[in-house]
Amino acid sequence: MTTFLSVFKKELRTCFLSPIAFVVIFLFWLLTGLNFWWLLLQLADGEPLTTATPQIFGGLISFALLVIVPLITMRLFAEERKLGTLEALLTTPLTATGLVLAKFAGTLVFYAILWLPVVAYAMILQKLSPMEQFPDFGALRAGFFGIMLVGGLYIAIGLFMSSLTSNQIVAAFSGSALLSVLFFSLLFMAYTAPTSDVRTVGQYFSSFTHLFDFSRGVVDSRTVMLYLSGTVWVLFAAVRVVESKRA
Amino acid sequence: MIKVSGVTKKYPGRLAVDHISFEVARGEIVGFLGPNGAGKTTTMRMLTGYLPMNSGRIEVAGYDVATQPKEVRRRIGYLPENCPLYPEMRVDEYLRFRAELKGVKPSARRAKINEVKEQCGLTEVGKRIIGQLSKGYRQRVGLADSLVHDPDLLVLDEPTVGLDPYQIRQVRELIKQLSEKHTILLCTHILPEVEAICERILIINEGKIVAADTEENLRKKLHSCTMIELEVKAGKEEALARIDALEGMDVHTCSTLPDGWLWIEVEADATEMCVELFKLAVTAGWALRKLSEQEHSLEDTFVQITRGTEGVK
Repeated sequence: MTTFLSVFKKELRTCFLSPIAFVVIFLFWLLTGLNFWWLLLQLADGEPLTTATPQIFGGLISFALLVIVPLITMRLFAEERKLGTLEALLTTPLTATGLVLAKFAGTLVFYAILWLPVVAYAMILQKLSPMEQFPDFGALRAGFFGIMLVGGLYIAIGLFMSSLTSNQIVAAFSGSALLSVLFFSLLFMAYTAPTSDVRTVGQYFSSFTHLFDFSRGVVDSRTVMLYLSGTVWVLFAAVRVVESKRA
Repeated sequence: MIKVSGVTKKYPGRLAVDHISFEVARGEIVGFLGPNGAGKTTTMRMLTGYLPMNSGRIEVAGYDVATQPKEVRRRIGYLPENCPLYPEMRVDEYLRFRAELKGVKPSARRAKINEVKEQCGLTEVGKRIIGQLSKGYRQRVGLADSLVHDPDLLVLDEPTVGLDPYQIRQVRELIKQLSEKHTILLCTHILPEVEAICERILIINEGKIVAADTEENLRKKLHSCTMIELEVKAGKEEALARIDALEGMDVHTCSTLPDGWLWIEVEADATEMCVELFKLAVTAGWALRKLSEQEHSLEDTFVQITRGTEGVK
């Protein structure tokens, strides 16, 4: 447990020491900020209030995740391989599983920090809103939960891609490519497939749909299980890679 | 302390380590020599549990590397090749992180870190960022890291590579000091280092242990005869005949130097034959201005062993 905590702390600290982290934070906050500004304009134009949370957590922002997450995860293992520190880490009592989990946890916390401005947005909406029921804090909480679930799986995939190479650029591109292929193929299946059966299957698996559902306050246990098991499975694959790919 | 028996490691398409066995006793300081690509680093990595082996068994301090890796790692201080460190961390930060990983108790942590910093001459650079330190200091940070959990066994993979001569001397001094308290396996291809520090030598070549002995014994085994060089003023025919007549001596080469002196190289069966030659010169009334026994360097020994001649065990 101590070893887990110390790697976790180190990971989180390294996140904030690398210039790329600040670039990512800047880009992401700029995007979410613009997105929120646009939402306010739409609401002022008389858009229904129910579109508010889906637009904060889903919609355009879900496209940004495909680039942002691999940028955070690219250094996780690729850098350790490049520096040779992976050897130094794995010759301590720390296990590969502990290492993967600690890195995952550290990155997940950093990812959660990326989403902190949402708290401010919620408060702004509340200030501007004439009604008690708006904004819907239940939906906001569900949306945040959903965004963490989806982010968890994306981070696991990025971490896995990073464990395969010693080149951070390769890790970022391959991670982003894999996520994009998954995201877009499922998105097109869910919304533009000609047969309704394919559309139904697509909607079961598409992150875009899931984020939309979560942010309307719908927490479906099937979706939760899909993301949790997917994350665990990809992390397990990463552990195996770290254990076997050493020379 | 270390017991390696029948260990083999295959990489795709080649055999890196071929059925090697050796032992290192507690308190020993052993040099692990070999040309580049001989399997040194692979052996170190298997020893520290980083690489799995294909067959065989390694025990460190009585624990099996394959089945009790945690116990083994707790007891080994390992400085990998090229001394990998995190350039963005500060020295103190890094050592604290490593101490935590290696399970140094929180109560003892600060004292232990200060102790290794003092040992390795890092007290003044604790607040510095590792990436900005010179190579010599980084190497010392690596050494401090390998010491921080008070390991029984230190495994150092080329600890002086890339250092300037002054730094090399400092690191060697440090390793010598450490040998008082730890068993050390020093892996290198820099021969003077081994001569200066190690008690016993293992030589690996093409994945096989080809020699394992003290430096002196290795030399003796390999070079049964000694070369003696002398310069005398005497008649060539007479000198050669009288030297050849001595028991256990053969003239190897002989030439007349430009100033008229004779330069002779003699092959002697035993050591300490210089005395005989001196006596001969005195009785024959030769003038003698040089008489020396040539030492075979470890380099000669190393080259002879690894060039493919038969191993000596």
